[in-house]
Amino acid sequence: VAKKSKAQAKPKLALYWAASCGGCEISFVELGLRLIQASELADIVFWPCIMDFKYEDVEAMDDGEITATFFNGAIRNSESEHIAKMLRRKSQVMIAFGSCSHTGGIPGLANFYDKESLLERVYGTAESVDEASRGTRPQVKTEVPEGVVEIPEFYDHVKTLAQTVDVDYFMPGCPPVVEQIWTVLQVLLAGQLPDKGSVIGAEAKTNCDVCPREKGGSSQRVTEWKRPHEVELDPDVCFLTQGVICCGPATRAGCGLPCISGNMPCRGCYGPPDGVVDQGAKLISAIGALIDTDDPEKLQEIVDTIVDPAGLGYRFGLANSVLSELKYK
Amino acid sequence: MNLADKPETFADRVRAIPGGEHLEMCYSCGTCVSKCMIQQKVEPEYNPRRLLRMVMMGMEEEAFKSPTTWLCSECDLCFPACPQEIHISGVIGAVKQLAVEAGYESPLEAVTVDETKCSGCGICVMVCPYEAPHLIEKDVDGEMDTFSEVDVNKCMGCGTCVAACPLGAIARPGVSNAELVQQIEVKPQPNGVPRLVTFVCDWCLRADDDVSLLESYPDNVRVVHIPCTGRIDPEMALRALRSGIDGVLVCGCAPGECHYKRGTYVSSCKISLLNTMLGQMGVGDGCVRFVQIGTQDRGRIRNEVDGMLEHLTAYKEAV
Repeated sequence: VAKKSKAQAKPKLALYWAASCGGCEISFVELGLRLIQASELADIVFWPCIMDFKYEDVEAMDDGEITATFFNGAIRNSESEHIAKMLRRKSQVMIAFGSCSHTGGIPGLANFYDKESLLERVYGTAESVDEASRGTRPQVKTEVPEGVVEIPEFYDHVKTLAQTVDVDYFMPGCPPVVEQIWTVLQVLLAGQLPDKGSVIGAEAKTNCDVCPREKGGSSQRVTEWKRPHEVELDPDVCFLTQGVICCGPATRAGCGLPCISGNMPCRGCYGPPDGVVDQGAKLISAIGALIDTDDPEKLQEIVDTIVDPAGLGYRFGLANSVLSELKYK
Repeated sequence: MNLADKPETFADRVRAIPGGEHLEMCYSCGTCVSKCMIQQKVEPEYNPRRLLRMVMMGMEEEAFKSPTTWLCSECDLCFPACPQEIHISGVIGAVKQLAVEAGYESPLEAVTVDETKCSGCGICVMVCPYEAPHLIEKDVDGEMDTFSEVDVNKCMGCGTCVAACPLGAIARPGVSNAELVQQIEVKPQPNGVPRLVTFVCDWCLRADDDVSLLESYPDNVRVVHIPCTGRIDPEMALRALRSGIDGVLVCGCAPGECHYKRGTYVSSCKISLLNTMLGQMGVGDGCVRFVQIGTQDRGRIRNEVDGMLEHLTAYKEAV
């Protein structure tokens, strides 16, 4: 797929961050000396977090000049949308890199609220707001003596990269783990990427497929859901059988299980596995079936111990969920 | 004659299995038959009274071949009705166990597991009301991997595992994910006419006129038959809403009457969670509803569908 735009030219890579935390950049930097090895094989032509390139440098490039862009971060405002569209034009391969870009990530949780209520909280009611400026809202254009100051427009809701531009590959993770980045770089530079639209740097099945914990039986259904800090967790046994919700059954494998190895349940950052449309709905379809009682009142009590099912099932995927589609159709 | 030397009869062997011990308390009144939904809905030859009689008379082969041995799903509607307080499904289960040991196989179509999708998570093992699935280790290209395997003689085909499987690795003919997705289509309607998908379990409607009512709805109401509401997958409901359908109504058995023991508990949990999620997002208020229709609730399905359509009509006007 990675066609050489100019004969024998060194491939060019770009990395960008939109609405994200910077963790994806850290994961890339974790390549360490391999980053130097990569830079011998390809030129990094744009990486605002790490290197001093400007938007104008990208604008000056030919369309398709960049071999591949690793785009992390969700689309939150007009700036992230503008750069996404520009990088799409300039790149042969567009990779949605990391949860925020792939499925909306943590910023996507803002889709529980609308723009107005978010701004009201941040600029109106937040305890840290200075009384004199309380209620002041950011304006896209502000006239000052020197001219007009323009800032990006804050959008009503968070979008994924694929809801904004055509995406060739999806690389999940919050962040994508370094070993997967290295593998993908090698595959990319060898021109061996799979079919367009594929999820890369991850497995097809779920975390349970690789999880070494002992799985449950019918005698281990759940009579009370507990949160991880409320129970002493056995490190060798499936979280679900211990009454702790783990997103592993509804989450694509590929991370190498850092959370689960640390005796914390999976939080779902690698997104849904192949064939699943909606990660959160699939999760509640599984955990809802694990509840065990024949008393209807007790049943509702157990269900109510899951205080935030949407936050749990869509911690990293709300912007990509059917729920978001229903709200923002 | 020494009684200890008496040859062991078929009835003795049934009695020796936990659940089979109440065999001889049956005096053949037939109350169980009158309560049984299987006898009424799928198999007129189904008859627990007669099976217990066969066992007592030593009719081993006939008992093993009888549909009664295989079709009982342990719903236990007959149990509270039995004047002798016999746990009849326990006795039938004992007969079934002996039948399986003798090499007989269940005539029911069991679910199948697609190993290319199965991750061995064990969710199906935990959710099955009949302990049909279990995990096995298998050599795949030199590496051991874990898969679910289903005991075809234990599977009753309720589909609870099909819905719970996070990877869609389990299928039951007729109600696989792909087949249900096809069925949840409802044609676009004129303005203001709500589109409703109604999932109805195969067992909750006892009266024939309630069943035939389902065929009489105009094309804005799509009725999808499922073996059990345990088969309900919230993802399916969300897909329906996304396609422009206004509401999803799920009808299952009354609490304690589920034909497959756990199905209604499972679906009520799932739909409660789904509604919480929809509420958190501020969409689809009351558009997904679960109703539990008892064997005595003749005519209720009409009210439930009408009520849902009314709610959706009002909701469409308000939005």
